[in-house]
Amino acid sequence: MRATAGPTEAVGEDDLHAYIDGRLPSERADDVDAYLAAHPEVQARWSQYAEQRQALRTALAAQVGGSISTRLRIAHLLAAQRRRRRWRLARVAAAVGFLMLGAVGGWGARDVFSALSSSSAAALATAVFDDAIAAHRTYSVETRHPVEVGASEEAHLVQWLSKRLGRQLIAPDLTALGFRLMGGRLLPADSGPAAMFMYEDGKGTRVSCYYISADLGGEAEFEYREENGLGAFYWADDGLAYAITARVDRDLLLKMAEVVYQQTSPDRAKPKLPSAPRKPS
Amino acid sequence: MPDRAALLEAQIPGLRCFAYALLRGDQERADDLVQDTLERALARWHLRRNEGNLRGWLYTILYNRFSSDQHRLQRRALHDALTTQTEQREIDGRQDSALAHRDLLRAFSALPEEQRSVLLLIGVEDLSYKEAARVLGVPIGTVMSRLSRGRERLRQEMYGHERK
Repeated sequence: MRATAGPTEAVGEDDLHAYIDGRLPSERADDVDAYLAAHPEVQARWSQYAEQRQALRTALAAQVGGSISTRLRIAHLLAAQRRRRRWRLARVAAAVGFLMLGAVGGWGARDVFSALSSSSAAALATAVFDDAIAAHRTYSVETRHPVEVGASEEAHLVQWLSKRLGRQLIAPDLTALGFRLMGGRLLPADSGPAAMFMYEDGKGTRVSCYYISADLGGEAEFEYREENGLGAFYWADDGLAYAITARVDRDLLLKMAEVVYQQTSPDRAKPKLPSAPRKPS
Repeated sequence: MPDRAALLEAQIPGLRCFAYALLRGDQERADDLVQDTLERALARWHLRRNEGNLRGWLYTILYNRFSSDQHRLQRRALHDALTTQTEQREIDGRQDSALAHRDLLRAFSALPEEQRSVLLLIGVEDLSYKEAARVLGVPIGTVMSRLSRGRERLRQEMYGHERK
């Protein structure tokens, strides 16, 4: 339906759509007006489009109007989010309690946790624990090549790993606990690529933070595993499974897990374990 | 940071309208979709890349949720509530316009989803062509051709077939 209108650039359908959508650059308006004046058939058709465009707006507005239900109010959604967060943090505390109990009673922590979680979630946890611990064992002892991409290229690293995992990742900041980012690498896993960020403190202790996409359809609570002096915390949230692994004591590792959890989860203003209810913001 | 509650609240009417029309008038599912979208937006608030374009970001989340739900429900027949509801509302006295609305919405509901979403984003929600392309994850040329096809199809439904 393209036609030439005088010496200027031909007016095409895209111009005409832009015309009725109010998106035509002003310098183009005269051309389009002239074109429409010269082509009454086209003009008739486009004015019907414009009419329908307006009618659709009116019809939908009449249908959708009315009050917005309470469940869509942001304050309501935020309150629900806070409740979930408190509940999760309470479960972390409970998990730590169980671990202590397990240690005292000689009761394997893994038994406790596999009993607590559902089977598919447990399978995921086992796989992530295995992979993250194996990766940590392999790479944390490297002196020359612990990481593939160094912290000096952090933005590139994060972008690359995010792209490979198909989700926006962040490299957690553990400097508050004395650990600085060394860099990261891409890792293979059964269910797809995984990402690992590695950190080091002044004494050469290394921590790795492992991510993998996990379509769990929900979240998985914190779990702890210890293997030959290596400790790991695992959890899953919002399509990603996480594992923090290091040869440090459980309390410090839990602190790191909390920091990572807070930085990677939405409402990240919140420090510390089971805490007082927050005032609505 | 500006108050995110206020920023989000301002977008709710548009999101509801978009969801409602995508789901062909199933208000309950539309509100579920909007709620899901808002929850996701809150959960990912710090991951927003482009502070300026909150609206495009929200429509993208909503559309992605819608698409993945559709995928899941593909084999399940969609209850077409749009026309039913219009009929219920005719009682309130504005019968002529209600009838015209009903016909238009019925014709609109019959369009393929890819054309409906383009017509909604551009003609109702006032997104630019570029923003719509981003929300739908397709090139801008695809948006333009869906817009052309959708508008023409709707016109033919309402005004009869083109006479040359």
